Amino acid sequence: MSDKEPKPDGGIVPQDDQAPTWSERKERTQGLARLTYEYFERSRREDEELRKESDYVERDVLAFPTWPHEMIRNLAITSFFVGLMFFIAAAIPIGVPEPANPNSTPAVILPDWYLYWSFGLLKLPPLNPELSLLGGEKLLADRTYGVLANLVVVGAIAIVPFLNKGNARRPVEEPFWASIGVGGVVFAFTIAVLAVKNLVAGTFPLGNHELFDLTFLLPVVAGFITYGVLKAMREGYMFELNRRYYRLRPPK
Amino acid sequence: MSIERKDEHDHEAWMEGKDLSPIEEVYLTTLIWMDRRLRIVDYLEMLEDMYYKTNLQMPKSHTEQYNLDNKFWYWYPLYALGSFSTIAYVVAAISGALLGFYYAPSTATTEGARTVAYSNVLFIMGDLNFGFFLRSLHRWSAQVMTAAVFLHMLRVYFTGAYKEPRELNWILGIVLISLTMVFGYTGYLLPWSQLSYWAGQIGVEMALSIPLIGEWVAQLIFGGFSLGEATLQRMYILHVFVLPFVVTALIAIHIGIVWMQGIAEPH
Repeated sequence: MSDKEPKPDGGIVPQDDQAPTWSERKERTQGLARLTYEYFERSRREDEELRKESDYVERDVLAFPTWPHEMIRNLAITSFFVGLMFFIAAAIPIGVPEPANPNSTPAVILPDWYLYWSFGLLKLPPLNPELSLLGGEKLLADRTYGVLANLVVVGAIAIVPFLNKGNARRPVEEPFWASIGVGGVVFAFTIAVLAVKNLVAGTFPLGNHELFDLTFLLPVVAGFITYGVLKAMREGYMFELNRRYYRLRPPK
Repeated sequence: MSIERKDEHDHEAWMEGKDLSPIEEVYLTTLIWMDRRLRIVDYLEMLEDMYYKTNLQMPKSHTEQYNLDNKFWYWYPLYALGSFSTIAYVVAAISGALLGFYYAPSTATTEGARTVAYSNVLFIMGDLNFGFFLRSLHRWSAQVMTAAVFLHMLRVYFTGAYKEPRELNWILGIVLISLTMVFGYTGYLLPWSQLSYWAGQIGVEMALSIPLIGEWVAQLIFGGFSLGEATLQRMYILHVFVLPFVVTALIAIHIGIVWMQGIAEPH
C-alpha cells in the first residue's frame, strides 16, 4: 500500500487500554439489562454450537431467476387477478341502495355476508342457561351472551397454535385437529344460515327448532365423518411414508 | 526543522495523484462532497447487512430432504390466497381513494330531504363518469379480499402452517381478519342507506350490551347511543384514516414475518 492510498481505518481514534470493550461494558450493567445481555450471549452461543454440529450442508439454491422471469410471472398473476376484479365489478354491478329511514324498521336487517356468523351468534340466547341459584334468573343479559360468544369463538381460534404442538402438518397426520377444523367451518356456515333464517325459511322446510338443532348437530357430524375418513386414510399413508423413509435411511 | 505531516484527509491531493477521466472526476467530487456532509459511508455497512439478510436461504426443508414433494402439489394454488388478498386490498385502496374525492360524510339533509352522504352516493352512481363502475369495483374488491382472507385462514389451519414458530403470525392474522371485517363494517355504514342504518343500529346495541364498558365503547365507536352525524363521521374517519394506516402496517409486518420465517411447507 503506497502512502498515496488512504488508510482503511482513516480517522478512527483507536481505543486506549482503559476503554472497556463491548462485553466488559455490558457485564458491568445490572438488573434487567444485565439479564438481557446474558441471555443474548447464551442464545448466540447456542446458535453457534447448533450450527457447528448440524449436518446441514450449505448449497446453492437452484432457482428460478427473479428478474425477469419471476417478476413477469408475478405481474401476470397480479394483472390477472386485478382484471378478474374489474370484470366482476363491471359484470355484476351492485344495486342502488334505499335511503336510510330511522322510522321504519325493515323486515330483514343484515350485515355483509362475512359477518353472518357473528350475527348468528347473537341468536344463541336460547342456550343462555337460566341459573336455579338466581331463582331462574340469567346471569348475563341475552345480548351480552351473544356478544361474548363472538369473543369465545375468536379466542378458541387464537389458542390453537398453543394447544397443537409438534411438527405434524397434514390433515391426515392429525385427524383430530383436522376434524375440529372441519367442524368449525361447517359451524360457521350453519350459524350463518341461522342468522338469515328469515330468508331461507322458504328454501328449507324446517321449523325454527329443527334449524337451531341442526346448527349444532351438523358440525359435530361433519367432524366425526372427517375423523373417520382421515383415520382410514392414515393407515395406508403412513405405511407409504415409512417405507420411503426406511429406504432412505435404513434402521441401524 | 519541522516536516509537515501529510494530511490523511486531503482528498484533492489523492485525486490529483490518480489519473482520472472527467466523468470519474465529477463523480468522485460529487461523492466526496455528499459524503463530507451526509456521512454516506456510515450507511454502507447497513446496506451490506441488509443485502445479506434479504438473501439468506432457509435450510433444506423436510420435503426436499426426503423427496416428498409428490404428495401435496395440489395445495399450491391455495398458497396464493395471501397474495391475492393483498392485491385485492391494494385495488380497494386505490378505488376507495378515488371514491373519496366525491363523498362527504354528513347526515345533513339536502334539498329532496336526502342526506348529503346518500346523495353523494347517488351522484357517484348516477352522474359521475365511471362512478358506477368505481363504486362497484370498490365493493367487489372488498368482498373478494374478505373471502380470500377467510380462505387463506382455512389454508393455514389445514396445512398446519400456524405451528411453532409461527404462533405470533397466526395471532396477528386473527387481528388482521378482524380488522378486515371492521373495515367492511365501517364501509357498509358510509352510504347511509337503509341497510347501513340498521346494521349500525345493531352495532350500537351490541356495543351497549358489553358489560361495564358498554356505554363507553358505544360513545367511542358510534359517537353516542343512537345513530346520527357523529356516528357517520366516526365511521368515515375509521374507514379512511385510522384503519388504512393500521391495517397496512400490520399487513407489512405479517408479510415481513413470513419473509423471515419462510413458507411453511407441509411435511
